[in-house]
Amino acid sequence: MNAALLNEISEKLQRGKAKDVSALVTQALEEGISAEAILNEGLVVGMNLVGDKFRNNEVFVPEVLVAARAMNAGLKILKPVLSNEGVEPLGTAVICTVKGDMHDIGKNLVKMMIEGQGIACVDLGVDVEPAAIVAAVKENNAQLVCLSALLTTTMMGQKDVIDALVEAGIRDTVKVMVGGAPITQAFADEIGADCYTLDAASAAREAKRLILEMKGA
Amino acid sequence: MTNRERALNILHYKPADRLPAVHFSYWPELLTEWADQGKISRELAVGNHDGSAKEKELDQIIGWDFNWNHVVGTNNGLYPGFEAKVLEELPDGSRRVQNHNGLIERIKPGITSIPSEDDYLLKDRDAFETLYRPKMQFCPERVNTEYFKHFNELRPADTPVGLHVGSVLGSIRDITSVVGMSYLIYDEDEDLFADIVDTFADMQYKCVEAVLETGAQFDFAHYWEDICFKTGPLLSPATFDELCAKHYKKRNDLLHQHGIDIISLDCDGVIDKLIPTWLDNGVNVLFPIEVGVWGDQFEAARKKYGERILGIGGMDKTALRKDKAAVDAEIERMKRLVSLGGFLPCPDHRLMPGTKFELVQYYAEKIKEIRI
Repeated sequence: MNAALLNEISEKLQRGKAKDVSALVTQALEEGISAEAILNEGLVVGMNLVGDKFRNNEVFVPEVLVAARAMNAGLKILKPVLSNEGVEPLGTAVICTVKGDMHDIGKNLVKMMIEGQGIACVDLGVDVEPAAIVAAVKENNAQLVCLSALLTTTMMGQKDVIDALVEAGIRDTVKVMVGGAPITQAFADEIGADCYTLDAASAAREAKRLILEMKGA
Repeated sequence: MTNRERALNILHYKPADRLPAVHFSYWPELLTEWADQGKISRELAVGNHDGSAKEKELDQIIGWDFNWNHVVGTNNGLYPGFEAKVLEELPDGSRRVQNHNGLIERIKPGITSIPSEDDYLLKDRDAFETLYRPKMQFCPERVNTEYFKHFNELRPADTPVGLHVGSVLGSIRDITSVVGMSYLIYDEDEDLFADIVDTFADMQYKCVEAVLETGAQFDFAHYWEDICFKTGPLLSPATFDELCAKHYKKRNDLLHQHGIDIISLDCDGVIDKLIPTWLDNGVNVLFPIEVGVWGDQFEAARKKYGERILGIGGMDKTALRKDKAAVDAEIERMKRLVSLGGFLPCPDHRLMPGTKFELVQYYAEKIKEIRI
């Protein structure tokens, strides 16, 4: 395997060079490197390093956004190949911004970083009714629900979703992660969420842990 | 003492007979809620914004002395702005609209949340030169000089009067979106982004200059930025400093020449890494010091930067949703901060739904009992 090429993919991703990442991923496939290896040893390694730097305040939101865009550029090429190679996603997450809230930067960032962990994301968008989330969990056999809220005026929408999952009898089949500007660990505990993280990089790491936990791995 | 004297004395470490009851207005949903509860009239709940006559009427009912965020200013955005138009009606009732900044947003009638940013026009040099640079130029129409020539006769005597001096980066962010700003700075055209910031800042400087040349006098100047979020700034502090420091310095030097030494800046989120750029270049008042998001930061800032840093805000507004004991606890915490000097308590952002009307009245009454 061409370790130097995988390392270069990781490097370019960390610098947010989407076009370079696309070209290098294509080159790696042409050289016969498996899509799974390109994903795990190139893209994911790079994105995890960006996440670590973000948590340590070595890089900031813009660097994470451009890195995530580069990650997506690589994933776009890899996805059909991964499917052909029979590589299954680690699990499935349903993600959205809750009812009454139109904001999606944080949600989109978390989605890109979770996908970078090899988790399939069903993105329901913004201003989503609890019933639509329940339906998406059932339809996709999701193990994880990720809920974003930007404002103190909309944060209680996260509790409404948890209540709807309980009412639908599927609360025990999924883990619920919450995040957003006004959200705290205390609030997450108060509404019965399973997980709260401060930033998108931590959310991706916890998403992987929770899905593995749900699958009994 | 007047409330103006109280506020200015406190911000200059001088004695005052008591604290003024300062606020930062309300989310519209709260006013609707209070009207539904019969606490205020329906009329007072609509069109009640910073500095409006309705806000002043509500101030009297509640017991507030003034809203720090009530300032006067100029037309220092894009001029003329883009025509706001609906681009698409979506099946869920939401709309894709192009706003006056050329930003494509998704909004939904009845929802006051910050919109979803779908796209933006300012993506490259060509768009800047043809669409935006002409709208970022200074012209006399931006400043109501007749109003400012008579401003000293019109200004209220009892409350401090502030001049809004613009935004070095926040307004650009509103034009490019957070995502667009990130792509421009870090991947696409850093020089273009710097050119945008410089062009916009030069225009805003000229607006401030034109106001001050009329002889209008102000007690303080006020910036708006909102360039941080929950875990820190929306761009690296080094990049922020490189792009913005010179513009703060130039604008604030001008303000100092006109005797304005209280320069506040409204920025939500975790701002600590940007404070050095602001403080070293003339901004000296943090506002609104969001306790809910970033903890008791003012004490830390004071420890780190000493008495050259001032604060307005810092009162945990969520206490006003709870009970008198929670408000009393906040009052005690405010007393401690006030004892540091150079600090005016104020709820740490606009009051939100669920806030209890009687507790706000109680807070306003109690805060005014604090002697300096």
